[in-house]
Amino acid sequence: MIEAIELRRTYRTTTGVIRRRPLDVEAVRGVSFCVERGELFGLLGPNGAGKTTTIKMLITLLLPTSGQARVLGCDVVENAREVRKRIGYVFGGDRGLYERLSAYDNLRYFAELYGVSGQKQRARIDEVLELVGLAGREKERVEGYSRGMRQRLHIARGILHDPEVVFLDEPTIGVDPVGARGLRQTIADLVAAGKTVLLTTHYMFEADALCDRIAVIAKGEIVGEGTPAELKARVVEGRVTEIEVFGADQVTVERVRALEGVTAVAVENRDQKQILVVQATGERELTAPILAVLNGVEVVRVSSREPTLEDAYVALVGGE
Amino acid sequence: MTRWLRVFFVGGVIAYRGLFNWIRPAMYIPTMLGSPLFQLIFFTKLGQYAHAQSRDFYVVGNSVQVCAMSSLYGMTMSVANERWFGTLGPLLASPANRAAVFLGRGLPVLANGLLVSAFTFGAGVLLLGFRPGLGALPALALILVITVASCTGLGMLLGSIGLRAKDVFFASNLAYFLMLLFCGVNIPLDVLPSWMSLVGRCLPLTHGIAAARDVAAGAPLSQVAGLVWTEAGVAAAYALAGFVSFRWLEHASRRSAVLDTY
Ligand SMILES: Nc1ncnc2c1ncn2[C@@H]1O[C@H](COP(=O)(O)OP(=O)(O)OP(=O)(O)O)[C@@H](O)[C@H]1O
Ligand SMILES: [Mg+2]
Repeated sequence: MIEAIELRRTYRTTTGVIRRRPLDVEAVRGVSFCVERGELFGLLGPNGAGKTTTIKMLITLLLPTSGQARVLGCDVVENAREVRKRIGYVFGGDRGLYERLSAYDNLRYFAELYGVSGQKQRARIDEVLELVGLAGREKERVEGYSRGMRQRLHIARGILHDPEVVFLDEPTIGVDPVGARGLRQTIADLVAAGKTVLLTTHYMFEADALCDRIAVIAKGEIVGEGTPAELKARVVEGRVTEIEVFGADQVTVERVRALEGVTAVAVENRDQKQILVVQATGERELTAPILAVLNGVEVVRVSSREPTLEDAYVALVGGE
Repeated sequence: MTRWLRVFFVGGVIAYRGLFNWIRPAMYIPTMLGSPLFQLIFFTKLGQYAHAQSRDFYVVGNSVQVCAMSSLYGMTMSVANERWFGTLGPLLASPANRAAVFLGRGLPVLANGLLVSAFTFGAGVLLLGFRPGLGALPALALILVITVASCTGLGMLLGSIGLRAKDVFFASNLAYFLMLLFCGVNIPLDVLPSWMSLVGRCLPLTHGIAAARDVAAGAPLSQVAGLVWTEAGVAAAYALAGFVSFRWLEHASRRSAVLDTY
């Protein structure tokens, strides 16, 4: 359904105020992946990793610098129009809508652009409004819409013409928790109805709950790919122990890191507290040995849990 | 209706409502009716005071030129505001026929331009004693349609440029006043320096205004056919230039992200 082969994209910008020098930003550097029909594929990665750039190439808004991509068997460069007809896309944010028009008219305009025929328009617009939970407010102008309502309207627009493949770039950004849950259900329903979805998000639980497969992209390259379970298993074997402490210094952290079986220690600072996230191999219970090396440091709380997708993600992109 | 016809007509109207900033009465009345009216009265009275040209010279010239209120500003907004709203990405990601999208936006602008000009002509009749023969009206209307279309073509070109250059309204402003000066609206072309009249002949309005003056003074349409055809050619040339630059920008944006689409 979606096939990316060694996709690359370089942006040429300029730097310097007085003497402008060209500067090449390699946003995507050789990304390859395949999404099967009916699959929900997640693209995760830090800010600036190249997710949006990758999507823009797949939806024909950007030409790849090199490499190839096919969507529904059509090349995104050679056969852009065919691709455009059969895909939908949604991006996050509160721009991208005709502010002075009502939601209904916004959708009507895009129905025209996508060739949804006159008789079907009404029924289809009502249907998608219902689906994203905007029914009843569609006559209001978009300028009065909240962020979450705009986001819903973006989604309604993206699926208006009943596309076979949907690209969702941070579709739940700015939506309240209950609303986001509803939108996740909408996305799950799309997949249940046989659509193929490519999703980016910064919410790990969302990716975990929704995605069949995930690719983690960092600095323009894929650094890990697999089902959420595979990713967790591959990166974090065994268990994760979290210890909340006051005043652990670098030396103490190194001592924890040196313990047998410990594969990674991440430190998060929260107010004066620190949280040590210790990953270890095997099923070995590490609480006692860790507490032993932490002597002299005030320990607030210790907990041990299964690894989450977030642990895997952090390990993959190399964050602290 | 076939798809592209729907995009052209229905889509054009929806987009116009969405993109034209001055559609609310509070903005429409002063910009589209008020300022043309005062422009008409100002130049006609000034001209009469200076005994330079006949009253009809000013009434016809200004009544035609004020269509630029819609054709320049309105058209520029109808294209360039896509960028302001961030809707260019969704638009360009759609499979819609680009010519239908782009040219369709000209139609409501054209209709509004005609309305503005007709209103100003009406004011000329009521307030200034302008009296074209009834028989001249059909020819005058035809000339007006073509002239407003050519002015709209220039607006399309400016709108396209506005997608790239962030502040295009100063260019629309400039164009509006250049037209007042170069197109024989208030100063006959033959008293302008030759380079100025040359520029004027390459702009919209010039030939249309000349034809409208002759027709209003009683000349048959056949006598001004050359002028009318030239104006139609100018209209086509500017609309084409606008569309080509729109397509070129679309391509450049895919190649080098110049439009920063979303
Ligand atoms: N139009 C542009 N011109 C120049 N550089 C750009 C442009 N768009 C993106 N970039 C650069 O390309 C890189 C990747 O950006 P991209 O938007 O694809 O990241 P992202 O993964 O979507 O990030 P985020 O999670 O913040 O949305 C960044 O370094 C960014 O600065
Ligand atoms: Mg992004």
